[in-house]
Order: sequence, then structure tokens, then C-alpha cells
Amino acid sequence: MTNLNDLMERHVSTGGFANEMGGAPQAEATAWALCILQHQHRGQRTAPFHSDHTFLKSRQLEDGRVPIAPNHPEAVWPTPLAILAWHGSSEYRPQQDRAIQFLLTQYGHHWTRDPEQDDSVVAHDPSLHGWPWISHTHSWVSPTTHAMLALTITGHGEHERVQEGAEMLIDRQLPHGGWNYGNTFVWGQELRPFPETTGMTLNALAGRVPRSRISRSLDYLLLQLPDLQTPLALGWTLLGLSAWSIHPAQKSALITRCLQQQERYGPYMTSAYCLLLAAAIATMGLESLFDMSNSSQHATLGNT
Amino acid sequence: MDTTPAQSSELTRRQFLKVALASGVMAATGLGVMQWRQQPRMKASTFIGQADSYDIDLRSILASGFQELGVTPSEIHGKRILLKPNLVETHVESAHINTHPLLIRAAIEAFLGLGAALVIVGEGPGHRRDTLQILEESGLAQVLYDDHIRFVDLNEGGGYSITNQGSQTGLANLTFPAIFQEIDWIVSLAKLKTHHWAGVTLSMKNLFGVMPGMFYGWPKNVLHHMGIHESILDITATLKPHFAIVDGIIGMEGDGPIMGTPVHTGVLVMGRNLPAVDATCSRLMGINPHKIGYLETASNWLGPIHDSAIQQRGELVSALRKDFLLLDHIPTYDGLRLQS
Repeated sequence: MTNLNDLMERHVSTGGFANEMGGAPQAEATAWALCILQHQHRGQRTAPFHSDHTFLKSRQLEDGRVPIAPNHPEAVWPTPLAILAWHGSSEYRPQQDRAIQFLLTQYGHHWTRDPEQDDSVVAHDPSLHGWPWISHTHSWVSPTTHAMLALTITGHGEHERVQEGAEMLIDRQLPHGGWNYGNTFVWGQELRPFPETTGMTLNALAGRVPRSRISRSLDYLLLQLPDLQTPLALGWTLLGLSAWSIHPAQKSALITRCLQQQERYGPYMTSAYCLLLAAAIATMGLESLFDMSNSSQHATLGNT
Repeated sequence: MDTTPAQSSELTRRQFLKVALASGVMAATGLGVMQWRQQPRMKASTFIGQADSYDIDLRSILASGFQELGVTPSEIHGKRILLKPNLVETHVESAHINTHPLLIRAAIEAFLGLGAALVIVGEGPGHRRDTLQILEESGLAQVLYDDHIRFVDLNEGGGYSITNQGSQTGLANLTFPAIFQEIDWIVSLAKLKTHHWAGVTLSMKNLFGVMPGMFYGWPKNVLHHMGIHESILDITATLKPHFAIVDGIIGMEGDGPIMGTPVHTGVLVMGRNLPAVDATCSRLMGINPHKIGYLETASNWLGPIHDSAIQQRGELVSALRKDFLLLDHIPTYDGLRLQS
């Protein structure tokens, strides 16, 4: 089911992975590919991916962020993925530490409502800090879940930023279950959930909130599952469910169907393809792909 | 974007001021400079085609529109066309959110029929990163697969940055999808909808979807942060799309662009000039285009929106106007209704 030859076809000889066959190396694609490849090579003494790590390192800026493109330093959202890609590599520990430090000090645009003059039409609490896609904009679900997962896997799960991120995600949960990009009500109408953002949020919240607080979201995902046939929706759904110890019997069949859909859509983007591979491998959410035994060594970094 | 220059019989502003100052006409008539500036100078044509359902021969209606608007085979021959539909979210029984796949198919066929070398479909949905899922659930994936038409996810892939020509948001540059460098014509294939922040979402607001999510986020955070109306203007002024087709067969009224209710309007609106197309669409919705912030600012800059400056082809607005529901509890809609 997991064909690494397909993945290696996106490898760029000078280092890094392209998101599309024949493309230039890209930070997100490279980070995801490294996560998968390092899992497959876990236990080997030498890491054979030096040029790919070096590519990611070349994309890191002074303050630790890893933007999606050098000419868009504000597009900081791949930083958590780079943290995961460098996880377990002592050689790139300084780069990883700087990226972690950046995440812990990255806030985005937030504000506190004045209860006396609150005429806001959106329902969520805009003062709760998560993480933004783009610097200086508001926090949304996807970048927040990615940051929380990266920080948790590297031993910072108890940091106050992660705890507040969990509060923010719970605040953005739709009353009937699930999450979309991060809005709950606008002009009094409850918005609709998406499977991919619901899956990643459940993964990020696993072990942080009681099941009763997210049971409707699990129900929503289970209802959606049989119809999912794209890598983002299916991949994050399976990861979210497995993080809560739900292992659907049809998992393999759904992944196989999703892979076959490439005949219809063409080759998946590397990042989406790797996500699907991660869902195939993972036994208990995204964390189960990573060796967390040395994560405690990191734990004091962000709390100093 | 195409606009027709002011008629030669119309005085230029410099000529008018010279004559007016010499004759004292401004004082005599009470016509101030500001009022003069509101007079139409740019002109454009729009086409309204009646289309009662998606099951009829939509390609013929589009072909009529092309003919009326002077879009000829010699103009399109050999061109590479990108159709940019409005795909936002998909939900059961909510097909009215998105540009209908059968209209997209008709547009593909119409452009190929005019001799286009290539027609591709591209969109960068604003809310969801899983574009494939939206394609599948909207029914567009099947249409494109059957017709062997390439789709490009505009949220992903590389981009190229150019100087912002609009100067409304304060953004120095705008980054567009790299694929646009290989395209000759960009067509906004929008949906006729109300919008609870912008008033309406039509061919110009539809352009939010060309801004790559990897640089602008999901939802397109940067654009919302810098101002919706301002962003609409900057994107239109910088990208300069070549044509617009608006799917008003079934539109959305009330709490658009996602949570509103379907409204059968039975129209397709077309034109080379996007502000003129959006102004015509607004009138069809019973909405005064001069009350829509981005349209009023675009007036006589990016295109005409005054009814006397838009040459109406095909059906008449008055014959097909259907007043879209404007909800009282959404202040954006206050004062938008077009007086009969």
C-alpha cells in the first residue's frame, strides 16, 4: 500500500522534494517526505537524507521560521512541518530548536472583545491564541493543529501555548460537531464542518480533552468516512480517528481506493500523498510516526 | 480589461473645465465638479442571456453572447484560456454555492468552438484546502474527467509577484499562480450571489480564488485583513481579467455566499469589462451597484457601472430583474435595494 518509489520520483537531485512531479523543491513537500522516509528508516545508524535536511535548513530564516517560499517570509505555516522533519536528527537540532522557539513566540492577530460594545457577528473568542497561516493575521484551525502536534511530538505538549491552542480549538468546535477552517457562526447561522480540519483537530486534541467534549465530532467523521476518497480528507480523518483509538475496518480498502483515484485526478501532490501514507502507517495519530523517547530533552526549551 | 473610450463628442475634463470657467456655466447650472466627475465616461457592453435551467443548450446562449459582444473566432483562435469558476464549499443540497459544472462544460465547449488552443479550469477555494474533494462533490470532477480537461489548483504550486496596480490595500505586490504566465485569457466564471460582507459576490469578488492559499492562507486571510473591497479592486486592477460569465441560472440570496438560499433567476450575464458585468448583475438582483463599495470605487476607473454607460445586449434588465432577499439583520445590505 505504501509505495516509496512513487515518493522518490518527486525527489530533486540537488536536495528536497517537489510537490509535483518535475517541479522545484518545496519546503512543505520536503518536510512531509522526510517524515515518511525517516519513519521507514527508523533504527538505521546513518540518515540518508542529508541533502533534503540541508534544503530545509537553507529555507529557514534567522528567527527560526521556515516559510513556504523565500519571497514570502510571512507565509510561516510550514514551520511545524520542518520541526517534525528535523525530529530525531541531532545534526539539525539547532535548526529545530530555533523553529520551535519561533512557534512559541508567534501569535498572529488577536483582539479582546469589549462586552459593553460587542457588535461582533462571529461567535468565536478572538482573544484565544492559536497560530496563523500567515504572520500578522488571525489564528485558524489548520496551522494551530500543526503547531500543537509539532510541539507535542518534540516534548512541549505541556507548554501554555499548546494548552491555549487546545482551548482555542474547543472554542471553534461547531455545536453539531466538527470543525471547518475556524469559524463557527456568522450572522447567527452555524457553519458547516470539513472532514480534513475535523480530523487534524481531533488528532491535536487527543489526550487533552475528555471524549465527551468531542464525541459529536467523532460521530461526524465516522459518518463521512465511507465517502471520502481524497488524500487530505481521508488521511486526516483516519489520523484523527486513530488518535482516539478508533480503527475502522475499512481503512485499507479506503486508502487503496484513494490511491487508485490518481488515475482520475493525476498524481497527488507530494504533501497530500505523504499524508495518506502517514495515515496508512500510523497506529495512534500522527505522533505514532515519531520517536518521542528523546522529546523530553526539548521540554525545557520553551518554558525558559 | 476592455472598455470603450468615451465618445469623441464628449468633452474631456480639461475641455469642460476650460469652457465652464469661461462661461460661468457651472454657477449658472449648479453643476459642480464633483457631480461632473460622476458622469459616465467609460463605456462597455454586457450581454444577458435567458437560461431557465442547466439542462438546456447553454453553449448556444454563450455563443450568442460572444457574437453580441464581438468575441470572434479570429480573436480566440490559438489562445490559451483559463476558466476560473466559483468553487467554495460543497454540501448536500447546496449546489447553488458553486458555478454549475454544466455551465463550465458549456463554456469549455464554446471557447474550443471559437478555436481556442487550450482551455483549462483553475480555482483556489477559499475555505478548504482539499480542492479535490470540492471538485468531486460539486460534480465538476466527472465533467472534467469525461471531457479530458485539465484542472489546476490555484492554491498550490508556484507563484509570480507583480506590482499592485490598484493601490487600495497597501500591498506593494500581488502574487498570482505561476500557471497564469502560460495563459492568454482569464475568464471569471462566477456565480450570482449575495455576500454578507461585500454585498454581492460576482465576477470581481470571484477573483479572490486566484490568490494562492499557500501565500494568502485559508480563508484568504491577508485579503480579508487588508479589506475585502480594497482587495477586490487591487486584484482586478492588477490581473486585468479578459472576460466574465456569471451563472445566474440559480443564484443565492440572503446570507450568501455559503449559507444563503437558492433563487431561480434564469440568466447568464457576460461581458469583457468586469465592473460593468457586476453592475448589470447587481441590477438583475435588484441591488444598486453604486451602493456596493468596490463597484462605486471601480466606476470610471476599472470600468463603467452607470446604467447609461453600459450598452445592454440580449435581454433587458427590467424584464428579468428579480429582487434578491436582503436580510434585515445583516447591516451590509442596508440601503442596497435598487429603486424601481
